[in-house]
Amino acid sequence: MVRLSKALLKEAGTGLSKTLSEILVCPLSKKPLRVCEETGSIISDSIGVSFPIKDGIPCLVPKDGKILDIDDTLKDDDAATKRT
Amino acid sequence: MASLQLCLPFSSTSRFRYQPVRCANERQALFNRIAPVYDNLNDVLSMGQHRIWKRMAVAWSGAKIGDNVLDLCCGSGDLAFLLSEKVWPTGKVTGLDFSEDQLSMASSRQDLLSKVCYRNIEWVEGDALDLPFSDCFFHGITMGYGLRNVVDRRKALQEMFRVLKPGSRISVLDFNKSTKPITATIQEWMINNVVVPVASGYGLAKEYEYLNSSIEEFLTGKEQEKLALEVGFSTAKHYEITGGLMGNLVATR
Repeated sequence: MVRLSKALLKEAGTGLSKTLSEILVCPLSKKPLRVCEETGSIISDSIGVSFPIKDGIPCLVPKDGKILDIDDTLKDDDAATKRT
Repeated sequence: MASLQLCLPFSSTSRFRYQPVRCANERQALFNRIAPVYDNLNDVLSMGQHRIWKRMAVAWSGAKIGDNVLDLCCGSGDLAFLLSEKVWPTGKVTGLDFSEDQLSMASSRQDLLSKVCYRNIEWVEGDALDLPFSDCFFHGITMGYGLRNVVDRRKALQEMFRVLKPGSRISVLDFNKSTKPITATIQEWMINNVVVPVASGYGLAKEYEYLNSSIEEFLTGKEQEKLALEVGFSTAKHYEITGGLMGNLVATR
């Protein structure tokens, strides 16, 4: 699920609320999502797709997802490892 | 409905034009185009009655204090705002729509109206056929004028079933596809001679001409009940309202 605090996200301008971060799952796999701090997007690791957040509204329409290439995935994994 | 008494100009050459809008992208674009005038047009076209229909839909959903509820195809948020009044202060409302422009309107209205209970509403841009929610999550689901517009109604009902808690209800409000010829004729006449001329005043004639064909393609009340039961709901009942012009499906998981 979401690993960043709401405050951090608000400062980053992504503004995904705690409520949404607790209830949203990947629209296709129905598995947990996480928020990428760098891009302010929502990542579904289960299918390797990122979804945008616009003005605090998560955009989880499957056709609007962006397939992550391997570099994006590795960068996110590094960032996640550093945070933990 | 007293609207037949309206003295609005109408075209004597108006006739039913079949305008199928089958592709989801086209429908998304359509709802983005009408977003700026959607609320105002709803008021004008229904003479404010849509507010009553929506209150009925919310009542049928069974939403109560503390519930987590979902409004699908939320548009500019009418049903979500009504739901928030029911579930406040401890409940939460999620409004989902695939139109970015409609959600933007909903979010702006939420800020402008500034009722404290509206703070418990969150907006999500998503697809009613692929809901980004876990199984058995919501205590109630509403959908207003959405089921007729989705490209796969079975899948939409399956997704609603999936994310609904056992024992909870969906309440789906829409135009009624009447099996009574007189009702169907009145409905078609009103769309051709009231709705479309009024919409054309907003530059949206083509967008509203779509209505007749979408009602033609829609399911009757009995067909909606049958589909809901096939998908797994334990009970399903379709109520006709306003002389059969509108209908509301209520189904329990």
